[in-house]
Amino acid sequence: MSLLRSEWIKLWTTRTTWVMIGIGLLIEALFAGLYVGLASLEDIGEIDEVATGTGLLLVLMLVLGVLTITTEFRHGTASSTFLASPKRYPALLAKLAAALLVGALAGLAFFAVNGGLALPLLDGREGHLPGAGHIVSIYAGVVVSMALICGFGFGVGAIVRNQVGAIIAAIAFFFILSPLPELLPGNIGDYFPAQSIGSLQGLHSDTEGGLGQIAGGFVLSAWVAGLALLGTLLICRRDVSD
Amino acid sequence: MPQLEVRNLTKRYGRTVAVDDLSFTVEAGRVTGFLGPNGAGKTTTMRALLGLLRPSSGEALVEGSSPVQMSDPLATIGAALEATAFHPGRSGRNHLRTLAAAARIPATRVEEVLEMVELSGAADRRVKGYSLGMRQRLALAAALLGEPRILILDEPANGLDPQGMRWLRDLLRSQAAEGRTVLVSSHVLSEVAQTADELVVIRGGKLVSQTSLEDFTAATGRIRVRAAKLDELGEGIAELGGKVTAEDGALLVEGLGGEQIGELALCRGIALHELSPQQSSLEDRFLEVMDEGEASP
Repeated sequence: MSLLRSEWIKLWTTRTTWVMIGIGLLIEALFAGLYVGLASLEDIGEIDEVATGTGLLLVLMLVLGVLTITTEFRHGTASSTFLASPKRYPALLAKLAAALLVGALAGLAFFAVNGGLALPLLDGREGHLPGAGHIVSIYAGVVVSMALICGFGFGVGAIVRNQVGAIIAAIAFFFILSPLPELLPGNIGDYFPAQSIGSLQGLHSDTEGGLGQIAGGFVLSAWVAGLALLGTLLICRRDVSD
Repeated sequence: MPQLEVRNLTKRYGRTVAVDDLSFTVEAGRVTGFLGPNGAGKTTTMRALLGLLRPSSGEALVEGSSPVQMSDPLATIGAALEATAFHPGRSGRNHLRTLAAAARIPATRVEEVLEMVELSGAADRRVKGYSLGMRQRLALAAALLGEPRILILDEPANGLDPQGMRWLRDLLRSQAAEGRTVLVSSHVLSEVAQTADELVVIRGGKLVSQTSLEDFTAATGRIRVRAAKLDELGEGIAELGGKVTAEDGALLVEGLGGEQIGELALCRGIALHELSPQQSSLEDRFLEVMDEGEASP
Protein backbone atom coordinates (compact mmCIF):
# COMPACT_ATOMS: atom_id res chain seq x y z
CA MET A 1 0.00 0.00 0.00
CA SER A 2 2.84 2.39 0.78
CA LEU A 3 4.25 1.83 -2.71
CA LEU A 4 0.84 2.48 -4.24
CA ARG A 5 0.64 5.71 -2.27
CA SER A 6 4.05 6.67 -3.59
CA GLU A 7 2.94 5.99 -7.18
CA TRP A 8 -0.26 7.92 -6.62
CA ILE A 9 1.70 10.94 -5.40
CA LYS A 10 3.99 10.64 -8.45
CA LEU A 11 0.98 10.73 -10.76
CA TRP A 12 -0.48 13.91 -9.36
CA THR A 13 2.70 15.91 -8.71
CA THR A 14 3.55 16.56 -12.34
CA ARG A 15 1.34 18.47 -14.71
CA THR A 16 1.12 15.62 -17.21
CA THR A 17 -1.74 13.77 -15.55
CA TRP A 18 -3.79 16.92 -14.96
CA VAL A 19 -3.26 18.20 -18.48
CA MET A 20 -4.02 14.91 -20.19
CA ILE A 21 -7.19 14.22 -18.26
CA GLY A 22 -8.20 17.88 -18.46
CA ILE A 23 -7.82 18.12 -22.22
CA GLY A 24 -9.45 14.73 -22.72
CA LEU A 25 -12.48 15.72 -20.64
CA LEU A 26 -12.78 19.09 -22.32
CA ILE A 27 -12.91 17.58 -25.80
CA GLU A 28 -15.27 14.86 -24.64
CA ALA A 29 -17.54 17.48 -23.09
CA LEU A 30 -17.56 19.50 -26.32
CA PHE A 31 -18.35 16.36 -28.29
CA ALA A 32 -21.15 15.20 -26.00
CA GLY A 33 -22.68 18.67 -25.72
CA LEU A 34 -22.41 19.76 -29.33
CA TYR A 35 -23.13 16.46 -31.01
CA VAL A 36 -26.10 15.50 -28.92
CA GLY A 37 -27.32 19.08 -28.80
CA LEU A 38 -27.06 19.86 -32.48
CA ALA A 39 -26.96 16.71 -34.63
CA SER A 40 -30.19 15.31 -36.00
CA LEU A 41 -31.77 12.60 -33.89
CA GLU A 42 -31.40 10.07 -36.74
CA ASP A 43 -27.68 10.74 -36.87
CA ILE A 44 -27.32 10.30 -33.14
CA GLY A 45 -29.23 7.03 -33.13
CA GLU A 46 -28.52 4.96 -30.06
CA ILE A 47 -27.01 6.44 -26.90
CA ASP A 48 -24.42 3.63 -27.12
CA GLU A 49 -22.62 5.48 -29.89
CA VAL A 50 -22.47 8.69 -27.87
CA ALA A 51 -21.58 7.12 -24.53
CA THR A 52 -18.24 5.83 -25.73
CA GLY A 53 -17.15 9.36 -26.56
CA THR A 54 -14.67 10.36 -29.25
CA GLY A 55 -12.02 7.89 -28.19
CA LEU A 56 -9.59 10.75 -27.48
CA LEU A 57 -9.65 10.25 -23.71
CA LEU A 58 -9.13 6.55 -24.33
CA VAL A 59 -6.01 7.25 -26.38
CA LEU A 60 -4.77 9.71 -23.75
CA MET A 61 -5.23 7.10 -21.03
CA LEU A 62 -3.22 4.63 -23.10
CA VAL A 63 -0.43 7.20 -23.34
CA LEU A 64 -0.67 8.10 -19.64
CA GLY A 65 -0.29 4.41 -18.82
CA VAL A 66 2.86 4.27 -20.94
CA LEU A 67 4.21 7.39 -19.20
CA THR A 68 3.74 5.97 -15.68
CA ILE A 69 6.74 3.74 -16.31
CA THR A 70 8.74 5.31 -19.15
CA THR A 71 9.23 8.67 -17.37
CA GLU A 72 11.10 6.78 -14.66
CA PHE A 73 13.67 5.61 -17.19
CA ARG A 74 13.65 8.82 -19.16
CA HIS A 75 14.46 10.99 -16.16
CA GLY A 76 16.50 8.46 -14.22
CA THR A 77 14.09 8.28 -11.30
CA ALA A 78 13.90 4.50 -11.74
CA SER A 79 17.04 4.26 -9.61
CA SER A 80 15.48 5.92 -6.58
CA THR A 81 12.21 4.06 -7.10
CA PHE A 82 13.99 0.72 -7.07
CA LEU A 83 16.24 1.71 -4.18
CA ALA A 84 13.06 2.00 -2.14
CA SER A 85 11.87 -1.34 -3.54
CA PRO A 86 14.96 -3.39 -4.40
CA LYS A 87 13.00 -6.43 -5.54
CA ARG A 88 11.38 -4.11 -8.10
CA TYR A 89 8.23 -6.13 -8.76
CA PRO A 90 6.35 -4.68 -5.75
CA ALA A 91 6.98 -1.17 -7.11
CA LEU A 92 5.91 -2.26 -10.59
CA LEU A 93 2.76 -3.92 -9.24
CA ALA A 94 1.99 -0.67 -7.41
CA LYS A 95 2.53 1.21 -10.65
CA LEU A 96 0.12 -1.08 -12.51
CA ALA A 97 -2.45 -0.59 -9.75
CA ALA A 98 -1.98 3.17 -9.91
CA ALA A 99 -2.41 3.10 -13.70
CA LEU A 100 -5.63 1.09 -13.41
CA LEU A 101 -6.90 3.44 -10.72
CA VAL A 102 -6.13 6.64 -12.57
CA GLY A 103 -7.73 5.18 -15.70
CA ALA A 104 -10.86 4.27 -13.74
CA LEU A 105 -10.92 7.72 -12.20
CA ALA A 106 -10.69 9.31 -15.65
CA GLY A 107 -13.47 6.94 -16.73
CA LEU A 108 -15.69 8.09 -13.87
CA ALA A 109 -14.98 11.72 -14.71
CA PHE A 110 -15.82 10.89 -18.32
CA PHE A 111 -19.09 9.39 -17.17
CA ALA A 112 -19.91 12.54 -15.21
CA VAL A 113 -19.15 14.75 -18.22
CA ASN A 114 -20.55 12.62 -21.01
CA GLY A 115 -23.53 11.25 -19.13
CA GLY A 116 -24.20 14.58 -17.49
CA LEU A 117 -24.47 16.29 -20.87
CA ALA A 118 -25.67 13.62 -23.31
CA LEU A 119 -28.40 12.01 -21.24
CA PRO A 120 -30.39 15.16 -20.31
CA LEU A 121 -29.87 16.66 -23.76
CA LEU A 122 -31.10 13.56 -25.52
CA ASP A 123 -33.97 13.24 -23.11
CA GLY A 124 -34.87 16.90 -23.62
CA ARG A 125 -34.95 16.41 -27.38
CA GLU A 126 -37.14 13.38 -26.90
CA GLY A 127 -34.56 11.10 -28.48
CA HIS A 128 -34.48 7.39 -27.83
CA LEU A 129 -33.13 6.44 -24.41
CA PRO A 130 -32.76 2.79 -23.44
CA GLY A 131 -33.51 1.51 -19.92
CA ALA A 132 -31.40 2.51 -16.95
CA GLY A 133 -29.82 -0.93 -16.70
CA HIS A 134 -28.51 -0.69 -20.24
CA ILE A 135 -27.15 2.80 -19.67
CA VAL A 136 -25.36 1.71 -16.50
CA SER A 137 -23.78 -1.26 -18.23
CA ILE A 138 -22.57 0.90 -21.14
CA TYR A 139 -20.91 3.45 -18.86
CA ALA A 140 -19.53 0.74 -16.59
CA GLY A 141 -17.92 -0.77 -19.67
CA VAL A 142 -16.41 2.59 -20.56
CA VAL A 143 -15.00 3.12 -17.04
CA VAL A 144 -13.45 -0.35 -17.00
CA SER A 145 -12.04 0.11 -20.50
CA MET A 146 -10.35 3.39 -19.48
CA ALA A 147 -8.78 1.60 -16.52
CA LEU A 148 -7.64 -1.37 -18.58
CA ILE A 149 -6.23 0.66 -21.45
CA CYS A 150 -4.14 2.63 -18.97
CA GLY A 151 -2.86 -0.68 -17.58
CA PHE A 152 -2.23 -1.81 -21.16
CA GLY A 153 -0.06 1.29 -21.66
CA PHE A 154 1.90 0.47 -18.51
CA GLY A 155 2.58 -3.03 -19.85
CA VAL A 156 3.85 -1.80 -23.21
CA GLY A 157 5.89 0.93 -21.49
CA ALA A 158 7.51 -1.60 -19.15
CA ILE A 159 8.50 -3.78 -22.09
CA VAL A 160 9.76 -1.02 -24.38
CA ARG A 161 11.04 1.45 -21.73
CA ASN A 162 11.97 4.11 -24.29
CA GLN A 163 9.30 6.79 -23.97
CA VAL A 164 8.73 7.75 -27.58
CA GLY A 165 9.14 4.19 -28.79
CA ALA A 166 6.67 2.90 -26.23
CA ILE A 167 4.02 5.52 -27.05
CA ILE A 168 4.28 4.73 -30.74
CA ALA A 169 4.30 0.99 -30.08
CA ALA A 170 1.26 1.17 -27.78
CA ILE A 171 -0.83 3.28 -30.16
CA ALA A 172 0.24 1.37 -33.26
CA PHE A 173 -0.42 -1.99 -31.67
CA PHE A 174 -3.73 -1.09 -30.06
CA PHE A 175 -5.33 1.00 -32.76
CA ILE A 176 -3.66 -0.08 -35.99
CA LEU A 177 -2.41 -3.65 -35.69
CA SER A 178 -4.82 -5.23 -33.27
CA PRO A 179 -7.96 -4.41 -35.35
CA LEU A 180 -6.43 -6.24 -38.33
CA PRO A 181 -7.23 -9.81 -37.22
CA GLU A 182 -10.90 -8.83 -37.52
CA LEU A 183 -10.43 -9.21 -41.22
CA LEU A 184 -9.51 -12.85 -40.83
CA PRO A 185 -12.21 -15.48 -41.15
CA GLY A 186 -13.58 -16.85 -37.90
CA ASN A 187 -13.71 -14.95 -34.64
CA ILE A 188 -9.99 -14.77 -33.85
CA GLY A 189 -10.22 -10.96 -34.03
CA ASP A 190 -12.46 -10.92 -30.95
CA TYR A 191 -9.51 -11.89 -28.86
CA PHE A 192 -7.37 -8.90 -29.81
CA PRO A 193 -7.38 -5.64 -27.81
CA ALA A 194 -9.23 -3.42 -30.27
CA GLN A 195 -12.19 -5.77 -30.62
CA SER A 196 -12.24 -6.74 -26.97
CA ILE A 197 -12.45 -3.12 -25.84
CA GLY A 198 -15.38 -2.68 -28.23
CA SER A 199 -17.04 -5.71 -26.69
CA LEU A 200 -16.35 -4.36 -23.21
CA GLN A 201 -18.02 -1.09 -24.12
CA GLY A 202 -21.06 -3.01 -25.29
CA LEU A 203 -20.64 -2.19 -28.95
CA HIS A 204 -20.89 -5.76 -30.11
CA SER A 205 -23.57 -7.08 -27.83
CA ASP A 206 -26.23 -7.21 -30.52
CA THR A 207 -24.10 -7.72 -33.60
CA GLU A 208 -23.36 -11.24 -34.71
CA GLY A 209 -20.14 -12.79 -33.49
CA GLY A 210 -18.43 -10.41 -31.04
CA LEU A 211 -18.05 -11.12 -27.35
CA GLY A 212 -20.32 -9.86 -24.61
CA GLN A 213 -19.21 -7.09 -22.25
CA ILE A 214 -17.99 -9.41 -19.50
CA ALA A 215 -16.11 -11.69 -21.88
CA GLY A 216 -14.59 -8.67 -23.66
CA GLY A 217 -13.46 -7.35 -20.29
CA PHE A 218 -11.79 -10.63 -19.46
CA VAL A 219 -10.01 -10.76 -22.80
CA LEU A 220 -8.66 -7.23 -22.41
CA SER A 221 -7.70 -7.94 -18.78
CA ALA A 222 -5.75 -10.95 -19.96
CA TRP A 223 -3.83 -8.76 -22.41
CA VAL A 224 -3.06 -6.25 -19.67
CA ALA A 225 -1.97 -8.97 -17.25
CA GLY A 226 0.19 -10.66 -19.88
CA LEU A 227 1.95 -7.47 -20.98
CA ALA A 228 2.42 -6.24 -17.42
CA LEU A 229 3.85 -9.60 -16.39
CA LEU A 230 6.27 -9.66 -19.29
CA GLY A 231 7.29 -6.04 -18.67
CA THR A 232 7.80 -6.72 -14.96
CA LEU A 233 9.93 -9.79 -15.63
CA LEU A 234 12.07 -7.84 -18.08
CA ILE A 235 12.58 -4.89 -15.72
CA CYS A 236 13.43 -7.22 -12.83
CA ARG A 237 16.10 -8.87 -14.96
CA ARG A 238 17.56 -5.85 -16.69
CA ASP A 239 20.11 -3.47 -15.22
CA VAL A 240 18.95 -0.04 -14.16
CA SER A 241 21.70 2.14 -15.46
CA ASP A 242 19.87 5.28 -16.49
CA MET B 1 31.57 -7.94 9.24
CA PRO B 2 32.21 -5.20 6.69
CA GLN B 3 29.16 -3.04 5.97
CA LEU B 4 29.83 -3.16 2.27
CA GLU B 5 31.74 -5.84 0.49
CA VAL B 6 32.60 -6.28 -3.14
CA ARG B 7 33.82 -9.79 -3.83
CA ASN B 8 35.40 -10.68 -7.17
CA LEU B 9 32.93 -8.39 -8.86
CA THR B 10 33.00 -8.45 -12.65
CA LYS B 11 30.63 -6.56 -14.89
CA ARG B 12 30.78 -6.85 -18.66
CA TYR B 13 28.81 -4.89 -21.20
CA GLY B 14 29.18 -6.87 -24.37
CA ARG B 15 32.92 -7.07 -24.88
CA THR B 16 33.70 -4.13 -22.63
CA VAL B 17 34.73 -5.03 -19.10
CA ALA B 18 33.59 -2.21 -16.80
CA VAL B 19 34.59 -3.88 -13.55
CA ASP B 20 37.17 -6.65 -13.52
CA ASP B 21 37.41 -9.07 -10.59
CA LEU B 22 37.20 -6.25 -8.06
CA SER B 23 37.27 -6.93 -4.32
CA PHE B 24 37.25 -4.51 -1.40
CA THR B 25 35.45 -3.86 1.84
CA VAL B 26 34.02 -0.76 3.46
CA GLU B 27 33.78 -0.48 7.24
CA ALA B 28 31.41 1.44 9.47
CA GLY B 29 32.38 4.62 11.28
CA ARG B 30 34.67 5.97 8.60
CA VAL B 31 34.51 7.86 5.39
CA THR B 32 35.81 5.75 2.53
CA GLY B 33 36.88 7.63 -0.57
CA PHE B 34 36.36 5.80 -3.84
CA LEU B 35 38.88 7.07 -6.34
CA GLY B 36 39.61 6.42 -9.95
CA PRO B 37 39.77 8.21 -13.26
CA ASN B 38 36.65 8.58 -15.39
CA GLY B 39 35.51 5.22 -16.70
CA ALA B 40 37.32 3.30 -13.96
CA GLY B 41 34.08 1.54 -12.97
CA LYS B 42 33.19 3.53 -9.84
CA THR B 43 29.57 4.14 -10.77
CA THR B 44 29.11 0.58 -12.00
CA THR B 45 30.45 -0.75 -8.71
CA MET B 46 28.17 1.54 -6.71
CA ARG B 47 25.15 0.50 -8.75
CA ALA B 48 25.99 -3.14 -8.10
CA LEU B 49 26.13 -2.40 -4.35
CA LEU B 50 22.69 -0.84 -4.64
CA GLY B 51 21.21 -3.84 -6.43
CA LEU B 52 20.54 -1.78 -9.55
CA LEU B 53 22.62 -3.97 -11.80
CA ARG B 54 23.46 -7.61 -11.64
CA PRO B 55 27.12 -8.62 -11.69
CA SER B 56 28.37 -10.76 -14.56
CA SER B 57 30.15 -12.69 -11.83
CA GLY B 58 31.14 -12.20 -8.23
CA GLU B 59 28.95 -10.35 -5.77
CA ALA B 60 28.27 -7.05 -4.07
CA LEU B 61 27.08 -7.40 -0.49
CA VAL B 62 25.36 -5.04 1.91
CA GLU B 63 25.65 -5.99 5.57
CA GLY B 64 26.60 -9.45 4.43
CA SER B 65 23.75 -10.14 2.05
CA SER B 66 22.50 -9.22 -1.40
CA PRO B 67 21.21 -5.65 -1.68
CA VAL B 68 18.08 -7.01 -3.36
CA GLN B 69 17.17 -8.75 -0.08
CA MET B 70 17.18 -5.61 2.08
CA SER B 71 14.06 -5.58 4.24
CA ASP B 72 14.05 -1.88 5.09
CA PRO B 73 16.02 -0.47 2.15
CA LEU B 74 15.95 3.27 2.84
CA ALA B 75 16.95 2.74 6.48
CA THR B 76 19.81 0.54 5.29
CA ILE B 77 21.27 2.47 2.37
CA GLY B 78 20.85 6.02 1.24
CA ALA B 79 22.28 6.80 -2.15
CA ALA B 80 22.87 9.86 -4.26
CA LEU B 81 23.87 8.72 -7.73
CA GLU B 82 23.37 11.48 -10.25
CA ALA B 83 22.24 14.99 -9.69
CA THR B 84 20.13 14.79 -12.82
CA ALA B 85 17.87 11.92 -11.80
CA PHE B 86 14.71 13.88 -11.06
CA HIS B 87 11.51 14.47 -12.96
CA PRO B 88 12.04 18.07 -14.09
CA GLY B 89 8.37 18.92 -13.64
CA ARG B 90 8.12 17.77 -10.03
CA SER B 91 9.07 19.96 -7.08
CA GLY B 92 11.89 19.00 -4.76
CA ARG B 93 9.52 18.50 -1.87
CA ASN B 94 7.23 16.26 -3.91
CA HIS B 95 10.17 14.18 -5.08
CA LEU B 96 11.04 13.51 -1.46
CA ARG B 97 7.38 12.88 -0.61
CA THR B 98 7.18 10.06 -3.16
CA LEU B 99 10.23 8.39 -1.59
CA ALA B 100 9.00 8.97 1.95
CA ALA B 101 5.62 7.45 1.10
CA ALA B 102 7.26 4.35 -0.38
CA ALA B 103 9.29 3.75 2.79
CA ARG B 104 6.60 4.83 5.29
CA ILE B 105 8.74 7.74 6.40
CA PRO B 106 6.74 10.53 8.09
CA ALA B 107 6.29 13.82 6.22
CA THR B 108 8.08 15.65 9.05
CA ARG B 109 11.29 13.90 8.04
CA VAL B 110 10.95 15.37 4.54
CA GLU B 111 10.96 18.85 6.10
CA GLU B 112 13.92 17.89 8.29
CA VAL B 113 16.13 16.82 5.40
CA LEU B 114 15.07 19.83 3.32
CA GLU B 115 16.21 21.94 6.26
CA MET B 116 19.48 19.99 6.54
CA VAL B 117 20.42 20.59 2.91
CA GLU B 118 19.16 24.18 3.07
CA LEU B 119 16.61 23.68 0.34
CA SER B 120 13.43 24.53 2.27
CA GLY B 121 13.03 27.83 0.48
CA ALA B 122 13.13 26.27 -2.98
CA ALA B 123 11.30 23.06 -2.10
CA ASP B 124 8.10 23.96 -3.92
CA ARG B 125 9.80 25.00 -7.11
CA ARG B 126 10.01 22.54 -9.94
CA VAL B 127 13.39 20.81 -10.23
CA LYS B 128 13.65 22.12 -13.80
CA GLY B 129 14.66 25.49 -12.34
CA TYR B 130 17.28 24.14 -9.91
CA SER B 131 20.99 24.78 -10.32
CA LEU B 132 23.37 21.82 -10.36
CA GLY B 133 24.28 22.55 -6.75
CA MET B 134 20.61 22.55 -5.72
CA ARG B 135 20.02 19.24 -7.50
CA GLN B 136 23.07 17.84 -5.77
CA ARG B 137 21.66 18.89 -2.41
CA LEU B 138 18.25 17.43 -3.27
CA ALA B 139 19.96 14.15 -4.12
CA LEU B 140 21.69 14.26 -0.73
CA ALA B 141 18.39 15.01 0.99
CA ALA B 142 16.92 11.92 -0.67
CA ALA B 143 19.90 9.85 0.48
CA LEU B 144 19.51 11.04 4.08
CA LEU B 145 15.73 10.60 4.14
CA GLY B 146 15.64 7.18 5.79
CA GLU B 147 18.46 7.93 8.27
CA PRO B 148 20.39 5.11 6.62
CA ARG B 149 23.21 3.14 8.23
CA ILE B 150 25.11 3.30 4.96
CA LEU B 151 25.57 6.23 2.57
CA ILE B 152 26.70 5.72 -1.01
CA LEU B 153 27.40 8.97 -2.80
CA ASP B 154 28.60 9.28 -6.36
CA GLU B 155 30.52 12.52 -6.94
CA PRO B 156 28.45 14.48 -4.41
CA ALA B 157 30.77 17.48 -4.54
CA ASN B 158 30.07 18.15 -8.21
CA GLY B 159 28.50 21.53 -8.69
CA LEU B 160 28.76 22.57 -5.04
CA ASP B 161 30.18 25.98 -4.21
CA PRO B 162 33.02 26.23 -1.65
CA GLN B 163 30.51 26.69 1.19
CA GLY B 164 28.59 23.69 -0.04
CA MET B 165 31.78 21.64 -0.15
CA ARG B 166 32.54 22.62 3.42
CA TRP B 167 29.03 21.71 4.45
CA LEU B 168 29.26 18.35 2.65
CA ARG B 169 32.57 17.58 4.33
CA ASP B 170 31.13 18.29 7.78
CA LEU B 171 28.08 16.21 6.96
CA LEU B 172 30.13 13.19 5.89
CA ARG B 173 32.42 13.48 8.92
CA SER B 174 29.47 13.67 11.31
CA GLN B 175 27.70 10.76 9.64
CA ALA B 176 30.83 8.65 10.07
CA ALA B 177 31.26 9.86 13.63
CA GLU B 178 27.77 8.57 14.38
CA GLY B 179 29.00 5.14 13.35
CA ARG B 180 27.51 5.15 9.88
CA THR B 181 29.26 3.86 6.80
CA VAL B 182 30.11 6.37 4.11
CA LEU B 183 31.35 5.46 0.64
CA VAL B 184 31.94 8.51 -1.49
CA SER B 185 33.37 8.60 -4.98
CA SER B 186 35.12 11.65 -6.24
CA HIS B 187 37.62 12.91 -8.69
CA VAL B 188 38.09 16.09 -6.68
CA LEU B 189 41.13 14.72 -4.88
CA SER B 190 41.66 17.60 -2.50
CA GLU B 191 38.10 17.08 -1.27
CA VAL B 192 38.78 13.43 -0.57
CA ALA B 193 42.05 14.29 1.15
CA GLN B 194 40.18 16.43 3.65
CA THR B 195 37.34 14.02 4.25
CA ALA B 196 38.29 10.39 3.81
CA ASP B 197 39.84 8.03 6.36
CA GLU B 198 40.11 5.15 3.94
CA LEU B 199 40.78 5.00 0.24
CA VAL B 200 39.75 2.52 -2.38
CA VAL B 201 41.51 3.30 -5.64
CA ILE B 202 40.49 1.58 -8.84
CA ARG B 203 41.62 1.83 -12.41
CA GLY B 204 40.28 0.10 -15.49
CA GLY B 205 37.81 -1.78 -13.30
CA LYS B 206 40.61 -3.26 -11.18
CA LEU B 207 41.66 -2.52 -7.62
CA VAL B 208 44.82 -0.44 -7.40
CA SER B 209 44.92 -0.13 -3.65
CA GLN B 210 42.84 -0.10 -0.51
CA THR B 211 44.58 1.68 2.34
CA SER B 212 44.09 4.36 4.92
CA LEU B 213 44.64 7.89 3.72
CA GLU B 214 47.83 8.20 5.82
CA ASP B 215 49.37 5.08 4.34
CA PHE B 216 48.48 6.17 0.85
CA THR B 217 50.19 9.50 1.20
CA ALA B 218 52.89 8.10 3.51
CA ALA B 219 56.32 9.65 3.85
CA THR B 220 58.23 9.73 0.63
CA GLY B 221 61.63 9.60 2.35
CA ARG B 222 62.38 13.12 1.11
CA ILE B 223 63.31 15.85 3.54
CA ARG B 224 63.14 19.54 2.80
CA VAL B 225 65.98 21.56 4.28
CA ARG B 226 66.52 25.28 4.54
CA ALA B 227 69.55 26.70 6.32
CA ALA B 228 71.79 29.76 6.58
CA LYS B 229 74.65 28.38 4.52
CA LEU B 230 72.72 26.15 2.21
CA ASP B 231 75.50 25.39 -0.25
CA GLU B 232 77.93 24.35 2.45
CA LEU B 233 75.34 22.14 4.12
CA GLY B 234 74.50 20.63 0.73
CA GLU B 235 78.12 19.66 0.18
CA GLY B 236 78.27 18.06 3.63
CA ILE B 237 75.12 16.08 2.95
CA ALA B 238 76.50 14.86 -0.36
CA GLU B 239 79.72 13.76 1.40
CA LEU B 240 77.63 11.67 3.78
CA GLY B 241 75.99 9.97 0.79
CA GLY B 242 72.73 11.90 0.65
CA LYS B 243 71.17 12.80 -2.68
CA VAL B 244 70.53 16.52 -2.94
CA THR B 245 68.32 18.50 -5.28
CA ALA B 246 67.90 22.23 -5.05
CA GLU B 247 64.41 23.65 -4.93
CA ASP B 248 63.71 27.40 -4.72
CA GLY B 249 65.84 28.35 -1.75
CA ALA B 250 65.75 24.92 -0.16
CA LEU B 251 67.22 21.47 -0.62
CA LEU B 252 65.38 18.22 -1.07
CA VAL B 253 67.38 15.42 0.47
CA GLU B 254 66.98 11.73 -0.13
CA GLY B 255 68.87 8.92 1.55
CA LEU B 256 69.61 10.68 4.85
CA GLY B 257 67.49 10.91 7.99
CA GLY B 258 66.49 14.16 9.69
CA GLU B 259 68.74 13.35 12.69
CA GLN B 260 71.85 13.02 10.53
CA ILE B 261 71.17 16.28 8.73
CA GLY B 262 70.56 18.07 12.04
CA GLU B 263 73.75 16.75 13.60
CA LEU B 264 75.74 17.65 10.50
CA ALA B 265 74.44 21.21 10.68
CA LEU B 266 75.36 21.43 14.36
CA CYS B 267 78.92 20.17 13.72
CA ARG B 268 79.46 22.73 11.01
CA GLY B 269 77.80 25.48 12.96
CA ILE B 270 75.12 26.14 10.37
CA ALA B 271 71.76 27.45 11.57
CA LEU B 272 68.87 25.29 10.33
CA HIS B 273 65.74 27.14 9.23
CA GLU B 274 63.65 24.19 8.17
CA LEU B 275 63.88 20.41 8.34
CA SER B 276 60.64 18.81 7.24
CA PRO B 277 59.86 15.28 6.03
CA GLN B 278 57.82 15.52 2.84
CA GLN B 279 54.38 13.95 2.55
CA SER B 280 53.34 13.40 -0.99
CA SER B 281 50.06 15.08 -1.75
CA LEU B 282 47.13 12.80 -2.50
CA GLU B 283 47.13 14.13 -6.00
CA ASP B 284 50.80 13.29 -6.59
CA ARG B 285 50.33 9.82 -5.17
CA PHE B 286 47.16 9.29 -7.15
CA LEU B 287 48.83 10.21 -10.43
CA GLU B 288 51.86 8.13 -9.45
CA VAL B 289 49.70 5.10 -8.75
CA MET B 290 47.82 5.59 -11.99
CA ASP B 291 51.15 5.69 -13.86
CA GLU B 292 52.28 2.50 -12.16
CA GLY B 293 49.04 0.91 -13.26
CA GLU B 294 49.74 2.09 -16.78
CA ALA B 295 53.22 0.55 -16.75
CA SER B 296 52.09 -2.85 -15.52
CA PRO B 297 48.71 -3.59 -17.01
